[in-house]
Amino acid sequence: MQDFALLRHITIGQYLPGDSFVHRMDPRAKITVVLLLSLALTVNTSYLANILLLALCLGLIRAAGISLRYVLSGVRPALPFIIALSLMQLAFYGNPSVTSRLPVITFLRWGPIFITSSGLQLVLVSLARFVDLMILASILTNTTPLAHLAYGLEDMLKPFGRLGVPAQEISLIFILALRFVPILAEQLETLAKAQASRGADIGAGGRWRFWRTARAMLVLIVPLFLDAFRRAEELIVAMEARCYAGGRGRTRLVQLRMGWADGIAILICALLAVGFIWFRKSFPF
Amino acid sequence: MNGTDKLVRRVVTAGVLAAIAILLGATRLGFIPVPTPAGNATIMHVPAILGGIMEGPAVGGVIGLVFGIFSFFQATIPMFKDPFVAILPRIFIGITAWLAYVALRRLNEYLALVVSAAVGTLTNTVLVLGMAVWRGYMAPGVALTVGITHGLPEIVVAVIIVVAVVSAWKGLARRRHARL
Repeated sequence: MQDFALLRHITIGQYLPGDSFVHRMDPRAKITVVLLLSLALTVNTSYLANILLLALCLGLIRAAGISLRYVLSGVRPALPFIIALSLMQLAFYGNPSVTSRLPVITFLRWGPIFITSSGLQLVLVSLARFVDLMILASILTNTTPLAHLAYGLEDMLKPFGRLGVPAQEISLIFILALRFVPILAEQLETLAKAQASRGADIGAGGRWRFWRTARAMLVLIVPLFLDAFRRAEELIVAMEARCYAGGRGRTRLVQLRMGWADGIAILICALLAVGFIWFRKSFPF
Repeated sequence: MNGTDKLVRRVVTAGVLAAIAILLGATRLGFIPVPTPAGNATIMHVPAILGGIMEGPAVGGVIGLVFGIFSFFQATIPMFKDPFVAILPRIFIGITAWLAYVALRRLNEYLALVVSAAVGTLTNTVLVLGMAVWRGYMAPGVALTVGITHGLPEIVVAVIIVVAVVSAWKGLARRRHARL
C-alpha cells in the first residue's frame, strides 16, 4: 500500500481501438464464436486437437492485430505460481481421465509421487488451453468496447425473457458495475489516504501475521461498502425520479447490426466446434 | 414499496456490489496474504454474500456471476481460466448465503449473519475446489489441504466484514429514518 494512486489506474479488459475484421464484427457474433470455441477447448484433451486449436487461436489473434506478447503480459507475475501448480499436478495426479490412444507409461512411483505420461499430457494440455482461453478472452475485451459487449449480451439473453430471465436488467447491472468501478476506486484511494494519515498501517502485517493484515484491511473495506450503499441509495432516487421501470419497451442509443461476414464467421466456428466435439475421441494422439 | 421500486433497488444494489467485487480483485485488496502454498485468502466473494442477504437470491446470484466472469477474464493461472471453475460455482455463493440467512433470521439476526457469511464462504471454497478436482487441475488431497488452510481464515474474515457492514448499514438506516 505504498502507492495510493495505483488504486485509481485499473484496467479491466482494456479496449484497444483498431480496424481489423475482428474489431468490426458484431459483439453478438464475437460472443457466440468465443463461446463455441471455448466449449470445443474444454472437452478436448488429446495433443493433436489442442495443437490445432492453439493454431486456430493464434490465427484469430493475428487477424485481430493484437500482439501475443500483450495478451500474455499479465501472466508474468503469476508464472512461479503456475509452475508450482503444474508441478503439483504432475506429481500427485498420476491417473487422470484424459482421452488418449497412447499407452500410459509410468515414469516414477515413489511414495505419494506418481508421475505418468497421461499426467504429463494433462499438464501440457491445460497449459495450452490456458493460452487459448487468454487469447479468446482478449478477443472479447480488447477488440470490443465493454458497453457493446453488455448490449450484445442483452440481445442474446432476450429470447430467454419468456422464461423470466430479465435480459435488460442483467445488462444494466453489468454496465452499472463497470461505471462504478472507477468511482469506488477513487473513494478507496481517499479512504486509504485518510486512514494512513491517522496512522493506519494498511497491508503491513505480512504473510505470517495475516490476522493483522486482515484487521487493518477492515478499516478500508467496511467504509467502502457503506459508501457504496450510500451512492446506491442516491442512484435509486435518481432513477425513480426519471421513471425507470425495467427493460420493457425501452429503446437504446446503440443499435447493433449483424452483417453477412458475421454470419459466415459464426457458421465456420460452429462447424469447427461441432467437429472438435464430435471427433474428440478419434484424434490419433 | 411497489414492484418497480423493488426492481430499481435490486438492479442498483447488484451493480454497486458487483463493482466492489471487481475492485477488490483489480486492486489486489481482496487478497490477504497467508502463509500457505497457494498464497492468498480471498474476500472477493463477500459482496455476493451481502447481496444475497440484503436483496435476495437473484441479486446474490448475479453478483456472483459478475465476480465469476471477471475472475475468469483476469485469471493468470490455468485453473481459473476454466469457466467451470471460475464462473459456475460463484453463482451459488449469494444463493446459499440467502438461504442460511432466511432460515435463521427469526431466531437471531446476528446468528443469521454469522452463519450465512460462513455458508457463503464455504460454498465458494468447496464448489471451486470441487470443480478444480473434477476438471483435473488438482489432486483431491491437495484440494483438501488448500480448502482447510484457506477456508478457515476466509470464513473468519468474511464473518467479520458481513456483520460489521450489515449492522453499520442497518444502524445508519435506522438513524436516518428517525431524523426524517
